[in-house]
Amino acid sequence: MSDAGRKINEDLLRPLLQTSWRFYLLVALLGSVVVAGLVAWLWQMWNGFGVAGLNNPVYWAFYITNFVFWIGISHAGTLISAILRLVNAGWRRPVTRCAEVITAFALMIGAMFPIIHLGRPWLAFWLIPYPSNRQIWPNFRSPLVWDFFAISTYLTGSVLFLVLPMIPDFALVRDRTTGTRSRIYGLLALGWRGTPKQWHRLESAMQIMAIAIIPVAVSVHTIVSFDFSMAPVPMWHSTIFGPYFVAGAIFSGIAGLIIAMAALRKFLHLEDYLHPVHFQNLGKLLLMMSLLWAYFVFAERLTVWYGNGSAEVQVLRATQKGSFAPLYWTMVVCNFVVPFTILSLRRLRTITGCVIASFGVCIGMWLERFLIVVPSLSHKYLPYAWGTYRPRPVEIIITVATFAAMTLLYVLFSKFVPIISIWELKVGEHTTHVVEPLEMHEHALGDAHP
Amino acid sequence: MSAVYALYPTPDAAQRAVNNLHAAGVPDGQITIVSAEPFEEHAFADRDKATSMGWIALAGAIVGLLVATWLTRMTELAWPLSTGNMPIVAWWPNLIVMFELTMLGGILAAVITLLVAGQLVRRRPAFYDPAVSDGQILVGVEAAAEEAAVERALAGGEIRRL
Amino acid sequence: MAVDLDTCTGCGACVTACHAENNIPIVGPAEAARGRAMHWLRVERYFEGEFPDVRVKFRPVMCQHCDAAPCEPVCPTYASHHTEEGLNAQVYNRCIGTRYCANACPYNVRFFDFFNPQWPKPLHLQLNPDVSVREVGVMEKCTFCVQRINAGEIAAKAEKRELKDGDIQTACAQACAARAIVFGDLNDPESEVSRLSRSPRAGRLLEDLGTLPKVAYLERQTQV
Repeated sequence: MSDAGRKINEDLLRPLLQTSWRFYLLVALLGSVVVAGLVAWLWQMWNGFGVAGLNNPVYWAFYITNFVFWIGISHAGTLISAILRLVNAGWRRPVTRCAEVITAFALMIGAMFPIIHLGRPWLAFWLIPYPSNRQIWPNFRSPLVWDFFAISTYLTGSVLFLVLPMIPDFALVRDRTTGTRSRIYGLLALGWRGTPKQWHRLESAMQIMAIAIIPVAVSVHTIVSFDFSMAPVPMWHSTIFGPYFVAGAIFSGIAGLIIAMAALRKFLHLEDYLHPVHFQNLGKLLLMMSLLWAYFVFAERLTVWYGNGSAEVQVLRATQKGSFAPLYWTMVVCNFVVPFTILSLRRLRTITGCVIASFGVCIGMWLERFLIVVPSLSHKYLPYAWGTYRPRPVEIIITVATFAAMTLLYVLFSKFVPIISIWELKVGEHTTHVVEPLEMHEHALGDAHP
Repeated sequence: MSAVYALYPTPDAAQRAVNNLHAAGVPDGQITIVSAEPFEEHAFADRDKATSMGWIALAGAIVGLLVATWLTRMTELAWPLSTGNMPIVAWWPNLIVMFELTMLGGILAAVITLLVAGQLVRRRPAFYDPAVSDGQILVGVEAAAEEAAVERALAGGEIRRL
Repeated sequence: MAVDLDTCTGCGACVTACHAENNIPIVGPAEAARGRAMHWLRVERYFEGEFPDVRVKFRPVMCQHCDAAPCEPVCPTYASHHTEEGLNAQVYNRCIGTRYCANACPYNVRFFDFFNPQWPKPLHLQLNPDVSVREVGVMEKCTFCVQRINAGEIAAKAEKRELKDGDIQTACAQACAARAIVFGDLNDPESEVSRLSRSPRAGRLLEDLGTLPKVAYLERQTQV
């Protein structure tokens, strides 16, 4: 095996084969926050939903904000890796699995929230179309039922999209470990050997799934946006919501991906694989999405301001000048001003710069979801029924716990599975070698090449 | 299962071995090649490339579409409940569920084809050597008729037996 | 239903009657401060104008039982649906508490049980046995006193006669001292409610949203 191949194996298998005390400490810390979140949820179910801060008329707040936020984050992975795969961009190779993992876990976390926010969560299974002895079926006209189908499809698709290319890497780990670990990885590797037929079928399956997963991803967040746009609520009932939400999802997803990649690079010592050029490319994508987001927000708000519908204008005013103004302007700074400044100047578009911009975008996009949900519900059509909202501890704890859960799942994943796809990286390496087989030229692993 | 095989450190060496096996009269169907990477540019990796997985995925998508059409229409008519002045069989919302299940059908069909065609769910042990994980390429013949000829063809790599 | 805003004095007897008839819990001052008071029927009060030309307007607002109700298609479990008699029904047993219907309702007349209602003894004796007590996690709203509608229909059938206008009275209509609220059969063109709905003073609340509400509000002719 070439030196490059040996180095790849060593570097990318090291997190699986060596564990330091820092890992255990991190898992313990994150785990305790996640447990706190679970306890908070159980407390809410035991004591009644009233322990949350919701009221009449603000019946949706933090939980739905989190739902939309996490489903949005999930759009990074599959979209990036599917689109980059289809256009055959070589620089995708070290990035694809990091991205796909974000999708899978963000979807799982996001899909918890429709259950957490239910008044009677133990009956959530009534959304599944099964022949029940009550002889009633789910209402397919409801956007929540569309959510169920869309998220189930996307979750199935993206988990498969993640797991299938992991099979050859599981075979590698099986051969590198012994005992029970080897047997478990052997089970996960199924009957994989590496015959040309298996490689060809794997490639075909990945191609088909890459083509299929893109419309599914677009449809998922469009359907999530339909949760709002199908209701006659001022500033919800807008035709722009579908594309607006999808653009916002990709936007927040890329930010999440940049943060995850920077963390992996630092803590797993992957400097040879995740280069500044990767972050610069993603940073340029983030800049583009920031501009696109700003365009959608401007188009929507201009229409509302110009149209002067009495109820809509009240909501607009509440966000821009009224009680929600501090959050609104923070969102604009975090989503547009900061990313635009950092990412459009090459000198600032370093890894650190991209990470700062991405943190800003994550905060800004969370605020954006909140500002879509709550101000509109506070100011509906009858002023006598207007209301306010304050989050209460149970909602805050659960929100924080989901961030801890995402980090924890990611840390555990990178401990048990190589976070960069080893075989795909090697394919990228030897493609260069074959093109110029007799030249010995130095090149850094994971460089941009088809 | 008895087999003769050799391990080669580079794809070029493996290609030479395959060529020698062809010259010795061993058909492609009897040659087993196992590697840790695809090696798309080499001729030996070109076998078994043709697949109808795309068509199967399309068939799966059509099945998904039909299931969704049936499910939405049947359930809406089974207990017709009027909601919001909308028709009992509401095609706009049904289209959304139909789209999702169509895509799911296609994805699942592709994955099942992969599992079946790649023989990924198998009971009997496979023809494999862990050295493949080190980057070696395995070229071999199972139950060879003329083992001596095969061994001569495979000279150049580490010869082993199963 | 028809509500005459000229006759309505804003006294709130209808609200009290509705609570008593439908086992609506009193949530307490703390919860009410959080905005969780559950008044299926509320009297909205608006002040208009500057002193000394201040006008006060009262409007009792309850579920409008819209013919194109936005709360119905969004319920994933068919807990909110339209009956053949034209009522918007809320089936507590099907409700899983997504609260989407409450968001979709432009009139804000849907209420969520944030806690299990409590009736410390001996207040439990006041509960109406014809109406279920809702548990935590379900949505509830004005039903046009469907228990009284059903009782009236059953009585008429038992006595082998047709329903007469005025046979069925909702609790709010019964309690209103000014006879501002009138309930009846809109399918019967001779009923009082149909007559009032045809009045030139009649209008609907938030009509331009396209919800096709059934409650006709008769506007005030005199400004006091």
